[in-house]
Amino acid sequence: MKGNYPLVGVVLRKELTDGIRDRRSIISALVPLAFIPLLLFFGLETVADQFERELEIDVPIVGADHARPLVEWLDRQAGIETKEGPAEPRTAVSEGDVGFVLVITEDFAERFSKSKTAEVQIVVDGSDGRADRASGRIRNLIRAYSRMVGNQRLIVRGVSPEVIEPVQVDTLDLQSGRERAATVLIALPVVLLMAGFVGGLQIAIDSTAGERERGSLERLLVNPVPRPWIVLGKWLAAVTFSWASVGLVILSLWVVLEHSPLQRIGLRLDVGPYEIVGLVSLALPLCPAVVALEMAVATLARSYKEAQSYVSFLMLLPMVPILMTMDAPPDPELWNLFVPVLGQLVLMNELLEGQALTSGPFVMAAAVSIATAVALLLVTARLFRSERIIFGRTA
Amino acid sequence: MIEVRDLEKRFGDVVAVDGLSFRASDGSVTALLGPNGAGKTTTLRAIYGLIQPDGGQVLVDGIDVGSSPLEAQARLGVLPECRGLYSRLTARDHLLYFAGLRGLRGPEAESRCSALIELLDMGDIAGRRSEGFSHGERTKVALSSSLVHGPSNVVLDEPTNGLDVMSTRTIRGFIRKLRDEGKCVLFSSHVMQEVAAVCDSIVIVSAGRLVAHSTPEALLANTGQDSLEDAFVKLTERGTVPA
Repeated sequence: MKGNYPLVGVVLRKELTDGIRDRRSIISALVPLAFIPLLLFFGLETVADQFERELEIDVPIVGADHARPLVEWLDRQAGIETKEGPAEPRTAVSEGDVGFVLVITEDFAERFSKSKTAEVQIVVDGSDGRADRASGRIRNLIRAYSRMVGNQRLIVRGVSPEVIEPVQVDTLDLQSGRERAATVLIALPVVLLMAGFVGGLQIAIDSTAGERERGSLERLLVNPVPRPWIVLGKWLAAVTFSWASVGLVILSLWVVLEHSPLQRIGLRLDVGPYEIVGLVSLALPLCPAVVALEMAVATLARSYKEAQSYVSFLMLLPMVPILMTMDAPPDPELWNLFVPVLGQLVLMNELLEGQALTSGPFVMAAAVSIATAVALLLVTARLFRSERIIFGRTA
Repeated sequence: MIEVRDLEKRFGDVVAVDGLSFRASDGSVTALLGPNGAGKTTTLRAIYGLIQPDGGQVLVDGIDVGSSPLEAQARLGVLPECRGLYSRLTARDHLLYFAGLRGLRGPEAESRCSALIELLDMGDIAGRRSEGFSHGERTKVALSSSLVHGPSNVVLDEPTNGLDVMSTRTIRGFIRKLRDEGKCVLFSSHVMQEVAAVCDSIVIVSAGRLVAHSTPEALLANTGQDSLEDAFVKLTERGTVPA
């Protein structure tokens, strides 16, 4: 194999020329772009969904018996369900067993009945965004209850409630813009993965199953070029298209977000250079493995058509981790990083949730992906030696 | 020089090549002649190293194809049975690609390609994408790209199969030119006129075995026939029913 490295370049250049002139290759690299509007739409849907889900709040209450009317009133509010709180509210909250606890003080009933200010406590860990929002809503409800009762008391005493409310404030709560951004972009990793899958697909098939079907494989293989170099050249061409597709998706998404009217309705989309670099450094190392898999499968297929359907089935494969991570984002575990696609998905989700990540997991996921690619390339190079593969199953 | 020694190849239960031996010398055109299914293509594929023989060996300029396939391939120019082209590449693109695969680049590759384009009369198709090429044009592109590196041994699988008269004449002339340059040319055919027109030596195979190997004249004399066609029929009949 000495001195044959430039031959990889010869194959690469030819496949790139061929690919650029092939309308289907170009289309398959551009197809993922069509999903960006869908992505944004889907993202907005999930935001709306999240607003609705936040209305469903379980309220653990300690000492509910001291304030029956308040508890019953809370229960009647839409989406609110009260339940018995934990014995040790502070411990329970700080250990994350419950998001927050409403504690009603023992002298509540006594003070309440004497028209004195009665006290309740909300025990919450402010760093838990979801619990913070939920408890905030409870706080507002209790204030509303308090005002309602207060108004009744004033009316009983012949005073207009407006006397004690010189100013009324309406607040539209749009806190935590960063987390909202994450939900808008929840489908972004999926689209990026798809771009990696689809971008190089046409070249992966055309340069393997296609090469044989059009009857040019034999003439290619009679040249004194080691099979791994041939496979490497073809693979690099397909990877280039796959990368281009991923790059285009990220680039156009950035442009869309920069100029989108989403910000005007109060959603800040925090996709800055940090996120972009993170996404790119996750998506790009995955493409080589994906493309290598497509090539191996297409080489095994008996015909071009068969290759196309097999590779389409392959696209269903990443759906498994996608569905796993989408509905119930799991707490990322170390083994996730060792599974191509899953590792990248988990890290992408973490990244978009605004969690600071170190480079370790990125490097790990990339290394696994590259190792997978190399193994698959060796398999494909081996397949290119098989008489059954070169001449078709009929030979 | 190409030497085939006791070559054997089976596909499952089917014996495609059964102990075939012959030699194709430099400076001469050797025809591998036989009916369909005689094992011609399989033999050629073993020569250019895409098939692993079950027995025997093939030597190209003394290099064992089995143990040093790349070195042997480097001394071969091959036109296989399939002449598929890359439909989006032009004729010149094809030549340059194959020149590149042979390690040729730059002005040297360019000049070789131009020479072949002129030699095989491909000037009008050189800049056209191969999609829509006629059978003759395809064969010319495939042939020239197989020989762009100027190999000393040339293996052609049915080179004029399905070609019109003009293309056939061009390719025959090309084969003679290769011989006159001192190259070893081995081609397979089942067409008698073809063989009679250009070859110096005939290897007749039937059912994977050698039936005869001699010059056309000797073949006629030995079989007592007036035409090569009659001689061929007589020999292959005998070949298919081993005594």
